[in-house]
Amino acid sequence: MNLQVLAQSLIFGIFVGGLYGLAAVGLSLVFGVMKMLNVAHGELLMLGGYVTFWFFSLYHIDPFLALLPSAFVLFLIGMGLYKGLFSPLAKLHEEVKIKNSLLIGFGLSLVFHNLAIRLWTADERSVSVLYSGWGFSLFGLRFPFIRLSGLVLATIVILALQQFLTKTYFGKAIRATTENWESAALMGINIEKTSMISFALGATLAAMAGTIVSVGYAIHPAMGLEWTLKALIVVVLAGLGNIGGAFAAGVLLGAVESVSTLFVGPYMEVVGLVIFLLVLELRPQGLFGKSIG
Amino acid sequence: MLEIEKINVSYGDLQALWDISFRVEEREIVALIGPNGAGKTTTLKTITGLLKPFGGEIRFEGMAMEKMAIHKRVEMGISLVPEGRGLFPGMSTLENLELGAFTDKGRSCREETIEQVYELFPILKNRKKQAAGTLSGGEQQMLAIGRGLMSKPKLLLFDEPSWGLSPLLSKVIYEVIGQINHSGVTILLIEQNVRMALELTNRAYVVENGRIVKQGDSRNMLNDQHIREAYLGTESV
Amino acid sequence: MSSHRKTLFLSLGITILLALVPLVTKRNDLINLMILIFLYICLAQSWNILAGYTGQVSLGHAAFFGLGAITTRFLWVGGTPFFLAFLTGGVVAVVFALIIGHPALRLKGIYFAIGTLGLGQILKITVGNVLPTVADLPGDYIATYNLIPRYYLFLILAVITVAVVYWISHSKLGLGMVAVREDEEAAKASGVNTFRQKIIALFISSFFAGLAGGAFAFYHVSYYHDLPFSPIWTFDALLITFVGGVGTIVGPIIGSFFYAIFKEFFARTFPELHVFIFGILFILVVLLLPGGLVEMAGRIRRLVTSKKGVVPTV
Repeated sequence: MNLQVLAQSLIFGIFVGGLYGLAAVGLSLVFGVMKMLNVAHGELLMLGGYVTFWFFSLYHIDPFLALLPSAFVLFLIGMGLYKGLFSPLAKLHEEVKIKNSLLIGFGLSLVFHNLAIRLWTADERSVSVLYSGWGFSLFGLRFPFIRLSGLVLATIVILALQQFLTKTYFGKAIRATTENWESAALMGINIEKTSMISFALGATLAAMAGTIVSVGYAIHPAMGLEWTLKALIVVVLAGLGNIGGAFAAGVLLGAVESVSTLFVGPYMEVVGLVIFLLVLELRPQGLFGKSIG
Repeated sequence: MLEIEKINVSYGDLQALWDISFRVEEREIVALIGPNGAGKTTTLKTITGLLKPFGGEIRFEGMAMEKMAIHKRVEMGISLVPEGRGLFPGMSTLENLELGAFTDKGRSCREETIEQVYELFPILKNRKKQAAGTLSGGEQQMLAIGRGLMSKPKLLLFDEPSWGLSPLLSKVIYEVIGQINHSGVTILLIEQNVRMALELTNRAYVVENGRIVKQGDSRNMLNDQHIREAYLGTESV
Repeated sequence: MSSHRKTLFLSLGITILLALVPLVTKRNDLINLMILIFLYICLAQSWNILAGYTGQVSLGHAAFFGLGAITTRFLWVGGTPFFLAFLTGGVVAVVFALIIGHPALRLKGIYFAIGTLGLGQILKITVGNVLPTVADLPGDYIATYNLIPRYYLFLILAVITVAVVYWISHSKLGLGMVAVREDEEAAKASGVNTFRQKIIALFISSFFAGLAGGAFAFYHVSYYHDLPFSPIWTFDALLITFVGGVGTIVGPIIGSFFYAIFKEFFARTFPELHVFIFGILFILVVLLLPGGLVEMAGRIRRLVTSKKGVVPTV
């Protein structure tokens, strides 16, 4: 096994792993606050990618700039989805709530998938910019600009999120709600509003990941399920509600998948899924246990 | 200040409170006593909004509150120090206090209030960066009380403040509660230790099986035959 | 019980009518549509047993469907008499279910759902990699292909699946399953062996899903080997069952009927629109009308009878 091939593979895996982490963080945040698992998260990511794609195709806005309107649009969509679909569930008993939110997320994913095919066809799309092929080499290893930027961006966003959660009042309110929603309510925290903003934030994070995917990789309507699964795997690896760990676990998953391609080829997805099942069975609280922030 | 009139509360199909009525006047300190599972915690939860009653009214400073959201009631000046403290275990002592001051009223004088809490409970200042979940039982109770004070409440509710604490610590906590009341805060508390509760408070209500069965001046209750037999019998003098 | 007898006669009548269809029409499109409905009924009812009655929402149903299909296809094309291949398909699905049953059913709620989703995907990807080609029927099989026996196979399969669900729902087994669904802790406390209930439900569910897969393999002339493993089949089962009425006998039947009809109706103009429509209905059902179309029909009936001044029975 050529060391260079291995290293290159690892690098590409880390790049995509950063996106897995970004996708997972959104999912984890939402679960922590609302105790609901949004299995349409991948579809929100897909939508974010498409918004960026169309901003680029129609208005020639650079995708890294289009990140902002894309994030904004998904923030609004997130708020709407929360108010319309998930908020009515908030009052239910925990078990029923989780089950119903799973079902609603499921229905939503099908609806979005279908809508995307209808609006934009099932074809793959990709944003091609001037600098798409640029990159630099170090020790004979290739570092494509866009994918590297993706990792950098994901890291920045997650660091910013951590700052938000630890330094701002609203961020602390989110953490408090995650740890003990009843006590949080007793502090005067508006749980409904906190949940809504968290959900919208989750959608925004998904949109950002989707944007990077549209530039560095490719988007198509069916990618939702794929990305939801990746996010689920990462979230389970890191432990539900663990945000910092989610990023690390994402990078880990990306690296493992990429390297295993060298050994088991097209079964690399299976490797991730098998690890997922093992963790579910043996350590449902994740590899990194349960903590926040 | 607080008027509860004929409220009924159920957990699903299981009714827990039947036509509960009582009142707490401003600056009073009132106790709810009674056996485990009688409905005392349920009552406090209903006052704060964690549970919604069917039938009956809850009035705070004249305003009807039964339909109000929890956070709104806190803004109106009701604060609860929950059973089991209800702290945010992963967050630091200071952060727990800061969150107590989440309301506008609390935020406006947050720094001042924090200093006051440190004066009441000096040990919390030493622990301010420490995660709340790692504090000792007594420290946690102090933090819970301190946090309850951060919103500058008019009415402070306590659910079993001496639970799990040594007699010495319980005494300290009770002194603090007395001090808080003297500073002008109305207090309604639930307490297992009936003697302490009756010695500290002005009036008390006895709750049994989801109903109020006795009420009156705490001093009189201490001498009441039924109370002595039911709740003070095992007390060593 | 006279209501049992009424149901029996009604079902028998409907079955006989359905059996007569190929004798009175030569329209292949109609027969194919009905086959689709029967396929969906079997797929949805088998899922309903595990999820609707026992409350274990599985997102890996396609795995059983796929295993039944692939087993039947290989054996049958390899020369095994069809019925043997068909039943073996069901058995393979059950064996798989029993293997993963213990570890899978240990998982609670959403973990079970996402776990089964992951499991189904593993199978799909593996099959897709090992057998990326199309499963073609050999020439002589195509030459002797007759739609009619396939129609009857699907009809009988659908009838049997519905009958099984009916029997379960009126049996002690069914009571146990529902007890697990409603409150697993309480059921355990009252002496119900909840694990046994779940594994039996899984057993029956996987068997019929496997048979449905076997019938699918018998019916289609050519398809990609990994198609029956695709999560779409799981999603179909969910959509149909919930919109129809989860946990009821008639729900999946009504759901299958409309789902198949919408699918065919929109096939040329707006393909896959049926998924979109059912997706929206599904969300509405979860939020507002958990009993699905069955509940809606019940409410309308009560509304109508109460308007007539008759006291409605619940």
